[in-house]
Amino acid sequence: MDTIIQTVELHKHFGRVRALDGLNLEVQRGEIHGFLGPNGAGKSTTLRILLGLAKATSGTASVLGLDPWTQSVQLHRGLAYVPGDVRLWPNLSGGETIDLLSRLRGGTSGRAAEGTPYAQRKARLCEAFDFDPGKKGRAYSKGNRQKVALIAALATDAELYLFDEPTSGLDPLMEAVFRRETLAAVERGATVLLSSHILSEVEVLCQRVSIIRAGRIVDGGTLDSLRHLTRTEVSFAADGVDTRALGELSAVHGLTADGGRVRFGADSGRIAEVLPVLGSLGVQGLIITPPSLEELFLRHYGDTSVAAEAAVGEPGAATARRRHLLGARGRG
Amino acid sequence: MAEVAALRILWGQRLRRDRWQLAIWVLGIGALALFSATAIQQTYGEDSSRAEILQVAIATPAILMLRGLARGASIGAFTFFQIFSFLALLAGMMSTFLAVRHSRAEEESGSAELIASTPAGRLTPAAATLLHGTAANVLVALAVFAGFTAAGLDPGGALVAGAATGAVGLAFLGVGLLMAQLMGTSRGANGSSAALVVLAYVLRGIGDATGTPDAGGTVMTAGPASWFSPIGWGQQTFAFTGDRWWPLLLPLALAAVSLGAAWVLLERRDSGASVWGALPGRVAARPGLNSPFALALRLQTGSIIGWSLGGLAGGLLAGSLGSAIAAVDLADSSATAVLRAIIQSQGASLTQIMISVLFSIVGVLAAACGLQAVLRLRQEEAAGTAELLLAAPVSRIRWLTGYLALGTASVVLVMFLAGLGAWASLASSSDTSMDVWAVWETAAAQLPAALIYLAVPALVFVLWPRATIGLGWALLAAGVVLGIFGGMVGLNQDIRNMSPFSHTPVPNGTTTDWSGAWWMLAIAVLTGAVAVVVMRQRETGTA
Repeated sequence: MDTIIQTVELHKHFGRVRALDGLNLEVQRGEIHGFLGPNGAGKSTTLRILLGLAKATSGTASVLGLDPWTQSVQLHRGLAYVPGDVRLWPNLSGGETIDLLSRLRGGTSGRAAEGTPYAQRKARLCEAFDFDPGKKGRAYSKGNRQKVALIAALATDAELYLFDEPTSGLDPLMEAVFRRETLAAVERGATVLLSSHILSEVEVLCQRVSIIRAGRIVDGGTLDSLRHLTRTEVSFAADGVDTRALGELSAVHGLTADGGRVRFGADSGRIAEVLPVLGSLGVQGLIITPPSLEELFLRHYGDTSVAAEAAVGEPGAATARRRHLLGARGRG
Repeated sequence: MAEVAALRILWGQRLRRDRWQLAIWVLGIGALALFSATAIQQTYGEDSSRAEILQVAIATPAILMLRGLARGASIGAFTFFQIFSFLALLAGMMSTFLAVRHSRAEEESGSAELIASTPAGRLTPAAATLLHGTAANVLVALAVFAGFTAAGLDPGGALVAGAATGAVGLAFLGVGLLMAQLMGTSRGANGSSAALVVLAYVLRGIGDATGTPDAGGTVMTAGPASWFSPIGWGQQTFAFTGDRWWPLLLPLALAAVSLGAAWVLLERRDSGASVWGALPGRVAARPGLNSPFALALRLQTGSIIGWSLGGLAGGLLAGSLGSAIAAVDLADSSATAVLRAIIQSQGASLTQIMISVLFSIVGVLAAACGLQAVLRLRQEEAAGTAELLLAAPVSRIRWLTGYLALGTASVVLVMFLAGLGAWASLASSSDTSMDVWAVWETAAAQLPAALIYLAVPALVFVLWPRATIGLGWALLAAGVVLGIFGGMVGLNQDIRNMSPFSHTPVPNGTTTDWSGAWWMLAIAVLTGAVAVVVMRQRETGTA
């Protein structure tokens, strides 16, 4: 396996606040790795350490085989970064900023003559993102400022892209462009670490995710394996159906009947055991909802939310199981 | 009736928003009138000493540029000569900023749209701004009148001087409102109208400098350039001597014309639209914009040009002042006797002393220019733009040293231009009392102290980023107060020695002690080096 990013027991303390509390993160070459967590969980702090903008209190981090703190310049030649809140120089135009950042990264010579691959790529991206590079930095809206950093990042070939909530402020059409361009970058052989709290985006783009909470990775793996551990929600019209047979199945949890519908959660890996019973009962209006990333997410952050607790059920045991699995993956 | 109510509400809202800002402008302008008039009475209490100063001034175009139109040596006329152009400049700035703040800036931020959607409409807010600005200028006129009267000047002349200040302010209120219609951004409107105020100041300066003195040698007639400047029109009132009111019709007419034009545009255009759109930027960067240093240069160019022009002006003044004073009959007056004593004790010519004194002021400008390069580092970090740069293959050290190099270059540039100015004005005059080479020596002598203000704030930036801006300016202010003004107020030498400026060598044509310069240079280099080394271990962020 070719590991692009690896952190081991990464700690970052700001005075008494433990922003990172033993973070173990691994990103493999060629993947789009989702880095999920709410505001304040430590996503940006992690990215800043991976960039060498901040120094870890303890623990080690390695990016592209380099130490980000001591070898940041060498590291930055191979990566491109898009912050979540892009700030621009007010008196530089968007086009100038894109050119400056690309030149610093070494992706182009000083004479960005028309017709060079870089100039073509920049022009194509400006068009794709519907971006006017001729305005001054101070005149751009939030979404357009994001576009400046996105175009600058995608206009040069990087080995690794670090995206910190890159689509904040972009409209849905532009989010789609972002997805397309990110997938194209991965096809070129790049690796992407996508920090986000927009779950739909992560679900579409990422093969693997790491979920961070209070400075630690609390869950991770492929989306399929994570889904496996959650429950699929099943409901059908009550209509006097006798549900006792369902209640006897060990894969079925939280069987309830209200508002004319019967609902229960089934272990996603054992859904096949449930289907014959449903068939023999001849249920009508059957709805089977596969677990969403959102549910997974709520499971880790839902302990303050009653609704989430109810949806998840027995959180303690499930989390313990997942921790175990995560540990096994970490060693492998 | 609804319009009157809306007008009252909107005016109230403007007064409330501006209550502190406007109070500072009005009281500041009034206080400037009061203090300058009082200081003049203390320093130049005698008619004869004022007449002498006026003769020096009339012989020195550079002084006339900065002061005004000499109209006799009476205390009132002399005060008007010394301070009116400043007062008018301030009233103009106050008025243009006020006009733009309550017009284009509101449209830009979108709050004008909220108001325009109410029954108040699009025109009532402009009327409220006009009312507000007119009231502000009436207050300025009263403040100047009160300041001059409190200092014991003739109330009749003080009233004319106050009215002239207010009238110039009104003219620029109109100009500001017109610019707010023409320009698409508040920045553009503020910049262009402030530039017009400065242009008015410079035009009257040229008019005064090219004026013709009358036989007595203390009264002048302004050159034609003054008649193209609202500030020049204000000077034509000859407050305290002629007390003419008719020249004030000119600024009032300008106010009326520009307001009329603004009104026509306002009635025809969409809310938020402008006659001239924002200037488009470059779609691609110039080839040179490819390094942290190039970016620093791009960001600092405006400030470097400003300080450099200050250095050049200081140099031109320094070079011409000595010969101008020397040209005045030094026969028998207490002031010249003192000057002569200083000249003899220092063994330097009058020109050399004037250049040393004025170059020490220019040295402060150079230090401020260097300081701003370091402050930009902090501004970049706090604004978050530094992050974009440092996430590219740019090391923290390369980033810091780029700004230090730029700061050093701009310090040298400001002093070089001061030397060039002094050299040019000496070379063009018949003054041979000073070795021209000594001009360059004096300019170079200012560099070490200025470099301290580059290196020490850089160390502050590395160790305690949040304090960079406040401490940077505070250190410079303390250095100026202790080192340059400390001697005048009789501060203890030990305290004065805490300022770098106290250690600047004073070349006097014979033997010059350069040890202070070498020490300061060593301290600056060492401090800068420590800053660079510590930067290697420093995190960057917005906190």
